[in-house]
Amino acid sequence: MRNSFLVILVTALLICSLGVLSIYSSTYQKEGKLWQTIFERQVLWIILGLTLFLIVSSISYRRLWDWTHFLYIFNLFFLFLVFILGAIRLGAQRWLRIGWFNFQPSELAKIIMVVFLARYFSRKSTDSIQLSSGKFGIFRGLILPSFFTALPVALIVEQPDLGSGMIVFILFIAMLYLTRVRLRYIVLLVSVVSLFLPFMWHFLRDYQKDRLLVFLNPNIDPLGAGYTIVQSKIAIGSGWLFGKGWLSGTQSQLHFLPESHTDFIFATFSEEWGFLGSFALLSLYYILIRQGFLIAQRTQDSFGQLLAYGVTLVLAIQITVNIAMNLGLAPVVGVPLPLMSYGGSSILVTFIALGILVNIDKTRAVF
Amino acid sequence: MIRIRIVIWAVTSVFIFLILGLLNLEVIHGRMYKDLGNRNCVRLVAQNGSRGAILDREDNIIAGNKLSYDLMVLPQDASQREKIILDASRILGKSVKDLKNAYKVNFVSSSIPVVLARNIDIKDAISLAELKVDLPAIIVQPNPLRYYPNGKLASHVLGYVSEIDRWRLTKLEDYGYKTKDIVGFGGVEEKYDYYLRQEEGGVSFEVNHQGKFIRTLGFKPPLNGKNIRLSLNIKIQKIVEDSLSDKPGAVVIMDPYTGEIFAMASSPAFNPAVFAEKSNNEIAGIFSDSRSLLVNRAISSSYPAGSVFKVIVGSAALESKKINQNTSFNCQGSTRIGNREFKCWSTHGIQNLAGALAYSCDVFFYRTGLLIGPQSIHDYALKFGLSKTTSFELPYEEAGFIPSPLWRKINKFRNWFDGDTANLSIGQGDVLVTPLQITRMMAVFANGGYLVSPYVVKAIDGRDVSLYQEKSEKLVIDRETVDYVRDGLRRVVSDPKGTGSVLSDLPVSVAGKTSTAQAPPGQPHAWFAGFFPYKNPRFVICVLLEHGGPGYVSCLVARQIIQEMVNQGLV
Repeated sequence: MRNSFLVILVTALLICSLGVLSIYSSTYQKEGKLWQTIFERQVLWIILGLTLFLIVSSISYRRLWDWTHFLYIFNLFFLFLVFILGAIRLGAQRWLRIGWFNFQPSELAKIIMVVFLARYFSRKSTDSIQLSSGKFGIFRGLILPSFFTALPVALIVEQPDLGSGMIVFILFIAMLYLTRVRLRYIVLLVSVVSLFLPFMWHFLRDYQKDRLLVFLNPNIDPLGAGYTIVQSKIAIGSGWLFGKGWLSGTQSQLHFLPESHTDFIFATFSEEWGFLGSFALLSLYYILIRQGFLIAQRTQDSFGQLLAYGVTLVLAIQITVNIAMNLGLAPVVGVPLPLMSYGGSSILVTFIALGILVNIDKTRAVF
Repeated sequence: MIRIRIVIWAVTSVFIFLILGLLNLEVIHGRMYKDLGNRNCVRLVAQNGSRGAILDREDNIIAGNKLSYDLMVLPQDASQREKIILDASRILGKSVKDLKNAYKVNFVSSSIPVVLARNIDIKDAISLAELKVDLPAIIVQPNPLRYYPNGKLASHVLGYVSEIDRWRLTKLEDYGYKTKDIVGFGGVEEKYDYYLRQEEGGVSFEVNHQGKFIRTLGFKPPLNGKNIRLSLNIKIQKIVEDSLSDKPGAVVIMDPYTGEIFAMASSPAFNPAVFAEKSNNEIAGIFSDSRSLLVNRAISSSYPAGSVFKVIVGSAALESKKINQNTSFNCQGSTRIGNREFKCWSTHGIQNLAGALAYSCDVFFYRTGLLIGPQSIHDYALKFGLSKTTSFELPYEEAGFIPSPLWRKINKFRNWFDGDTANLSIGQGDVLVTPLQITRMMAVFANGGYLVSPYVVKAIDGRDVSLYQEKSEKLVIDRETVDYVRDGLRRVVSDPKGTGSVLSDLPVSVAGKTSTAQAPPGQPHAWFAGFFPYKNPRFVICVLLEHGGPGYVSCLVARQIIQEMVNQGLV
């Protein structure tokens, strides 16, 4: 459907340009050539992303069905590679240097897991057009997919990238739910994980523990771990209804807000554009998500449908987790805001995801 | 499919939840966060103007200002703070613990610099200021500080300056006073604080997360306080204070016609610089001294008047025609009133009023007092300005007290007896007066019948305010009476047997009255109140020595003062 293509493209570009404006605003005062040109690099990423979007949207998503296993192994391989060759930045080993580009495999892992799970659950039995996932027993319905999911999740969490790990896990549960796997399996999974949560506490890094603790009470350490959350809330709160105006946000301009061009770009944006601007931005995101769900609902093919739901959910989860984190409603985990945050991996992967969505709609229309 | 709907609804409600969160943060709590944001990046550094100087009548500085340096630190950066405290302790030679303590005590809020040390040496200030290159959170702030070139001189007239207390703050908050403001306590500093007070200025500037200066947002230049010129003459004041040395007492020297105070000393005095420099040990010493250093004995404490009161009784008797200039009584060393024997301090024989004043004969005044009655004495005392404040400018003036039969009945449920009248007639009993009241009373005889209003502030900010001072008031009293009493006062000094004859060999002619006011259990208070030169009086003087002994002692002090004034060509 041409219509969805246009809506998604225009919305995505609008969000991207707001992102570039905010990146410019939060970095133009910083010293160093790198900072001065960072918004140009973002523009470059967006152009690359658009190209990928156009390419992906013209490749039938059914190819993904064929490539699923290859993609999954490819994904695990990259995640392993991160451990061996990964560049360490900000205390985490998440990036692979490919030429001049620092690639973050955990970003790509989200999409690949969607493809993998979509294929896994869209198997049909030979005697029915219904999806067989509703009849899956505990092994095929829960243990096996859990294993396949746990493998990359464990690798991601170990990087450590708790945020991406969490997102894949939430996505997994959402996909389980959407594919008519028996509700009790899902309840079982969630309760088992909840039971293990206290034990997992010991496996967390100290800074992750701190972040969780300050999420519960940011004031316990206002200059340490709680600093970011406090500054982010101040930035957003001081925006008021109309904001301080572009290039006038003191929190981000004067560097009180760390990561103001990546994970906390929403706070930067909100400080300068106020409640009205933020509301508009959230609406744009909602339009995007809504389009994704509409495409999924229009799609008859179960693989395509699950894929569309999955891709939309990945975006929705990232958006909501990131904004909630900016608002101090979720713990600080390193999740970028799709299309806004500076960063090649995130931009490219998001455009790929949007490309898949558009393609699903297009392919459906062709049939 | 129901599960799909649920998922879509879940996503939608999360979005709504986020929008509500935004609304809460940006709209409902927006003002709070805006303040927090400003506090983050806006720094205020106050700049103080200097408090108005207090000058004597010839524009000599009594209380001025000098520059002192305060070490302050911006509280945001904890690691810098630690380093600054370490360096400061090395340079200033103070212990790290003291400085940390000072930080805790002086911390107000995260946007206001905290004072670590006050009044640091200029050399230390420079070496600390040099650290600013590496430690931008350090601030060395020059501050005008009260400075007293003459030390303790006129300390009671001046008062002192210190941090505002809670009581004053509640009273003065509406006039723009804030916590930690420096305000005057006592004396001119308190009374005219509003004029003396400087207006605080300051710079507000924006800083980044490292506390680095970004740009200036606003600047308000500080305003200096207004200078106040007093009527004091520091030369006379100095003579007076030297003569008093450290004996507890007070001296007032006043212009008999205008009421201008040339000198007002109370001893023992305190050094007001101690308060300005906040040297806590010495301040504690001043407060704990049993001699009440801070009390201005010239106005804030009242004493039995003793024989100086006889001047009033004599005038009252003449005015009420109960006696005339020739009325004489025979003093045989004592007289019986009721069933009690009232003693005189000597045996004076037959004498009239002038003689009785000269020799300070008690018997004469017992008799005279009984003739005119206590109510009349009381009324005349009030006429001469006793038993009420002189409406002098400085705060904490005592009214003193003159008893009357009515008061006795109402307040003590006791009757008034002739013995009480006798006591009242010689200024004893319940009579309480301040040295300033006695000075003013004495001025009536110096200037020929006018009750002046004493004042000490001549000009504020160069504008003459003596015009606004209360005018002197013509007493309803016969000129003849005044002249007669005046003559008697001269005889106190000129008569070889007069109680003040010790003053007779001075180069100026002095008139006055001595007094030995009984104040058991200690020594009597020694008074001398008089004026000089006799013909054309230019000064009224009152000397009081608290438990100083007989009036003669005060005469010696007065003599020393007048002699020195003559020597310095001030008379």
